[in-house]
Parts: sequence; structure tokens; C-alpha cells
Amino acid sequence: MKRVVVIDDEPFILMMIEDKLKNAGIQVTTIRDSKQAMGAIKKERPDLVITDWMMPDLSGIELCRMLKSDPDVKDIPVFMLTAMGQNPEEQLGTQSGVEKYLTKPFSPNLLLKMVLDVIGKV
Amino acid sequence: MERSNLEQDLNLTIQELASVYEELSLLYRLSEVLSGLSIEGICKRIIDEAINTIEVKTAAVLFLHDNGEELYTKSSRGNWDSNLRFKQDDGVLWNSIKTQKPYVSHNVSESKHGNSLSSLKSLLICPMIGKNKVLGAIVVGDKVSSENFYSNDIKLLGAIAFQAGLSIENAYLYRELEELLLGTIRSLVRALEATSKWSAGHTERVTKYAMDIGKEMGFDAETIEKLRMSSLLHDIGKIGTPKEILDKAGKLTKEEYKEISKHPIMGAEILRDLKQFTEIVEGIKYHHEHWDGSGLFGLKGEQIPLLARVLSVADAFDAMTSDRPYRPRKSKEDTIREMMEFSGIQFDPLIIEAFLRWVDTFNLLY
Repeated sequence: MKRVVVIDDEPFILMMIEDKLKNAGIQVTTIRDSKQAMGAIKKERPDLVITDWMMPDLSGIELCRMLKSDPDVKDIPVFMLTAMGQNPEEQLGTQSGVEKYLTKPFSPNLLLKMVLDVIGKV
Repeated sequence: MERSNLEQDLNLTIQELASVYEELSLLYRLSEVLSGLSIEGICKRIIDEAINTIEVKTAAVLFLHDNGEELYTKSSRGNWDSNLRFKQDDGVLWNSIKTQKPYVSHNVSESKHGNSLSSLKSLLICPMIGKNKVLGAIVVGDKVSSENFYSNDIKLLGAIAFQAGLSIENAYLYRELEELLLGTIRSLVRALEATSKWSAGHTERVTKYAMDIGKEMGFDAETIEKLRMSSLLHDIGKIGTPKEILDKAGKLTKEEYKEISKHPIMGAEILRDLKQFTEIVEGIKYHHEHWDGSGLFGLKGEQIPLLARVLSVADAFDAMTSDRPYRPRKSKEDTIREMMEFSGIQFDPLIIEAFLRWVDTFNLLY
């Protein structure tokens, strides 16, 4: 079974994504505290990581950088949820390692489609 | 027992909220995306959104024909024959157009005249309305879940149809304005050409040459449009030039030459109120400048606006290859040779390069 780890400080977003992906037969682990994300991802080795950008303590960008510089987990694809008006590519350039960006409010249906596209391949 | 009820309630709430969130994301996308697109682009986008958000297998955008009596397919995806045309008595779809309200059918094949759509089991249709009239409709059919259409689906399609109606009407109005503008400019040009038989066709030819050279230079569509406008209007100033001078069979006297040299400035004067046309007017004002600075205003090299530099080459080419009252036309080969000689002197060398590439493939019509 395919596994996805979702990191966001907003509980509603976590619940909504979990519900959507679970109904499609995907196992989901949700994390509210981004500081714990790295450990959980290394333990679980999911097929995909979905993370918010703006989070207290550890931002999605920093988390992504950490993931991409760790040989154990650098190949796991990462989706990033951003707020309107944020231009992550400006900050990260094209070397960020993020596979896809989604602007909030995003379409949950579209997210599911994108997830299936990526983990279908993995 | 109570705990699982709570869990059930929570799940239902999450799903309800997720559905509202879906709707919200749709509204944001609609408001920001549709406005910049062409009519074809808008229709494709509508189909994407309808299929994605309402989760259906089939979607189609129908436009109402100008005669108001027929609906035809502008864009579609899924189980839909895009060649179908729907006349007023085709009950299933026309209900929506007549009442200007959404319409749902869950037994399409059994409804009146449903045979043309018999491959669909259920459909939902919503009219697209512009400011004052019905523009067409959006139809979606057969939900992926095979369920019936809910009131929420109608609400979503309604939101898409509403935005689509506004955007499409905008796109039409814009197109009409553009045609009006071009039509007006062409009328002005015809007025000019009516004054002198030697000008007949000159403007249209120069316009074609300038646009061809512009394409050869890789200009973007917006610049080519500005080139078109500049070219169409470049000799408008000649409307103020006495006819005797325009039609003179011999060489011009100094005074007569001075008079005719006024036409670029006069053209710019005539058009001075067109605030949106500054670049175009400058193209006209400076179209007789020389690359080496020996022209009317003494502008040199890249000081001369780009449009003017292209116009200058196109104008000269047509002038030399056309009969004039004071001399017959030159051959294409002689003209090319002379223009090459003046590259860097009268003409921008880069533009001459593009001109040479283009003129190779171009055959004068005689």
C-alpha cells in the first residue's frame, strides 16, 4: 500500500487531505509539528511528502532542504502547499527539489489526481 | 457506541468542509484565470473545471447561434458528439435556454428528443448569460460516482457558467472594438488614397511588407500589431499635401520638396489625440529618418524608434517598385541592390538583413 506523510500546522488541512487520500486507498501519516517531521519521514520512508510552507519553527522550505540533503530520503518526491502571493521559486530557485506547488485554497480533487500521478509511478 | 457516532459526525463534517473548500478553490481559480484568455481558451478551461470539480465524465460548452434558434458545440470532452446541433424543439437542452435556469435530467434517453444524447444517462445544463442575453450553455453528464446530480453540483456549475458568461462577453466586446478601430483606420486610409491615384494600394502594400519584415525579425504579436497600425497610418499626413505636388510629373522644386517632407509631422499632428498610440505615432513621425542621422529630425541609429526604422525600409521598397508620376517602377533586383547600398546609411543594417531574407522568397506581382 502506498504511503504519504502530510505536514501542516493547520489541523483542518491535515484532516481534509487524510480523508481524501484514505478514501483512495492510500495510507496517510499526519504531522502537526514540523520539527518531528524529519524523524518520522526517515522512519516511515513514504512514497510522497506533502508539506505546508509557512509553519512555526521549521518552514516547509527548510524541511525540504533537509530532506534533499539526506541520502536516505532525498529521492522521496515533495509537494509544497503555499499561500497566495508567495513565490517560492524566487526564494528557492529551480533547485528546491519540490516536485509540485499548490496554492491555497487548492482543489482537493486536483491534489488527489496529482498524488496518484506521482505515486503511481514510484 | 457514542465514540463511533462522534467519529462518524467528524468524518461527515470533514467531508462537508472539504467540499466547501473545493468550491472555494474553484471560485478563486475562475476569478483570476478566465479574464486573460481567448474565447477558445475560456471554453477549454471551463471544461477542465467542470470535469474536475463536479467529477463528471462528460462536459460540453454550447454556443447559441447568432440566429438565436440553434445551439452548437464550441468545445467538449468525453461522451459527446461535437457535430450535434440542437434546435429549439429539442426539448432536453432548450428548456434551460428558454427559462434561463439550470436543468437536470436523470433519464436522458427517455426524455423527449433525447435520442441524440441517448449515450448519456444523466445530464445537468446551466445557461451562460452575458449582460443582456443568453450566450449559450454548459452541459455536464454522467458523474463518475454514477450518482444523481445534487443541488450542490447545480450551484458549482452555476458559478462556472456565471463567470464564463462574463468573460466570454468581454472577449466578444474586445474583438468588436478591435474591428471597429481597424475599420476606422482603413476608412481614413481610403480617404487619403482617394485624393491621389498614385497612392492607391501603396499603404496596404507597405503594411504587408512591414509586417513580413517584422515577422522575419521575430517580433512578438503585439509589436507586429503596432507595426500594422503604424504602416496603415504612415502617409495620413499627405492628406494635407496639395494634390499638384503629389501628382507632379517632374522633379520637385525645393519648396515643393519641403512641402511634401511635412507629411510625417502632419500625420503625427493629425493623430496626436490618440493617447494609447504614442509608439505608433512616433513610428509615423520618424519614418523618414536616416540611420546615419541625415534625416528630417537628425535622429541617429537606435534613437529612431524601431517601428519607424522598419517602416522606412518597407516604404522605400514599395516606392521604388511602384510607378510614380516622375519615373516608372524599378525592377526587384535593382531595388534590392540600391537598398543594400544604403544599409547603414539610410537604413538600419539589421533590418536590411531581415529584409533581404524575406525579399528572397517574395515575388512582386508582375
